Amino acid sequence: MTQATTAYQKPIPLKDLDNAPYWDAADQHQLALQKCDDCQAYSQPPGPTCAKCGSANVRFEQLGDDITATVYSYVVSYRPFLPGFQDELPTIIALGQLDQVPEVKIMGNILKCEEKDLQIGMPIRMTWVDITEDRALPQWIPATN
Amino acid sequence: MGIIKDRYAIVGVGESERSRKSGTTPLHLALDAAKAAIKDAGLKATDIDGFMNYNEGDSCTSHQLATYLGVRPKYVKDIQGGGASTEMLIADAVALIEAGQLNTVLIYRSMNGSSGTRVGRGYDPDMLQGALAGGSFVIPYGSASPSQWFGMYATRHMHETGITKEHLGHVCLSFYEHAQRNPKAFLHGKPLTMENYLATPDISSPFNIHDSCLELDEGNAIIVTSAEKAQDCTSKPVYIMGMSARQCHPHAHYWNDIDQVASDYVAEELYENAGVTPDDIDVASIYDCFSWVVMRQLEAYGFAKRGEVGDFVAEGNLKMGGKLPTNTAGGMLSEGYTHGMNNAIEIVRQLRHDYEGTDRQVEDCKIGICTGWAGPDIAGAMILRN
Repeated sequence: MTQATTAYQKPIPLKDLDNAPYWDAADQHQLALQKCDDCQAYSQPPGPTCAKCGSANVRFEQLGDDITATVYSYVVSYRPFLPGFQDELPTIIALGQLDQVPEVKIMGNILKCEEKDLQIGMPIRMTWVDITEDRALPQWIPATN
Repeated sequence: MGIIKDRYAIVGVGESERSRKSGTTPLHLALDAAKAAIKDAGLKATDIDGFMNYNEGDSCTSHQLATYLGVRPKYVKDIQGGGASTEMLIADAVALIEAGQLNTVLIYRSMNGSSGTRVGRGYDPDMLQGALAGGSFVIPYGSASPSQWFGMYATRHMHETGITKEHLGHVCLSFYEHAQRNPKAFLHGKPLTMENYLATPDISSPFNIHDSCLELDEGNAIIVTSAEKAQDCTSKPVYIMGMSARQCHPHAHYWNDIDQVASDYVAEELYENAGVTPDDIDVASIYDCFSWVVMRQLEAYGFAKRGEVGDFVAEGNLKMGGKLPTNTAGGMLSEGYTHGMNNAIEIVRQLRHDYEGTDRQVEDCKIGICTGWAGPDIAGAMILRN
């Protein structure tokens, strides 16, 4: 792997008071989602309280590392709007609708995917890319890969 | 909410020069726009006792503008905002006049949107992660431009409703056609054909440069007062029939929830307040930061049924002579871009019949709609009449 010696140029997810459990799980190649104990709604991205009902009774549910989804929507980006993307154009940005929790959609790039093969409804699988020594970024790959 | 129907009016509109490189400051542009609007209304600057502006940290303050117009007003207000802020500040002005605090309010948007601060560019990525709701869940994936955010909505909506790239092209072609009749439109003299449109590569799918609004240096101003005071103005008043604004997205972070837009909720209350239906609207200004945003609003505001919006625009209904002549000065795609205020100015001019006797006038138009879109999550709109 060359990643240890080549500095990662793209933005690294910032952990804050409310989202840290999500990113801590991601660093361990796991998915954790915030869920409300009162109304049972998932909040993605996580926040200080439930975005559906305002309750403070929120906790993180561990969903593990076998995460499958289908492409709900996507954008193919031909220009870089942020540092680090200039060498990997076009960039596919997609919302994956989780098979386990269909009301939750998670944004990621679809890696190892040709633009011509991209379509709404295609099955994808979550993968985690180690971007620094201690950080990992959830991403999507076609489920057939 | 009090009944404000027909009791308030827009009595003055004005703009500065528009260019890619103004060579001057937003304060100068605001002064040019404000003076033009005050002259249009037949007022003196000192008749204005409230000044308001919306900005993204890229403008002058209302206090500065008032100062250099030689006015010491009762009230100045600067809000952070883009699309839909025109409509929301007009509502604020109406409320303050209704409360007896003010008589006449000037609202402006002034920006060096090309030569100065450009929307969505040059920001520190870490700052963006904190500034945007849920920013840490989108910025690391390269999604930092409105073209990418709204494109995500567009791809899904087009998939569900059968809207095609060519349909988006009809929106662009309609507005560019209007710009060819408007000598002040930035893209006057630069007509667009479907062939050219379809041959232009995308920036962020499904949008190419023609689907995206212009970035320009420009100042715009609008003056609002009571129907009573409007009689003292030399301009023909354009009355406010109804207004509505709304924030939506129960999940707060709109990147996760792309099936609804705030305009869906604004429409019902707007028509109820104004006491009209979509069939009564003669002319429209539909917020057009991107072509698809127009399509989605045509559906939300009831001008075409979901699934039929593509045919509606392909039939030429947004053009002069169509069912709903829209963005008749060229819109933000081809006239200029001040987060919607230039579209509001145009609807006022249409309803005053300022273009009478030319091919720019929507014949006999009486009622118009002006919609704002701050994004899928915030919308504001108003219905006006002459």
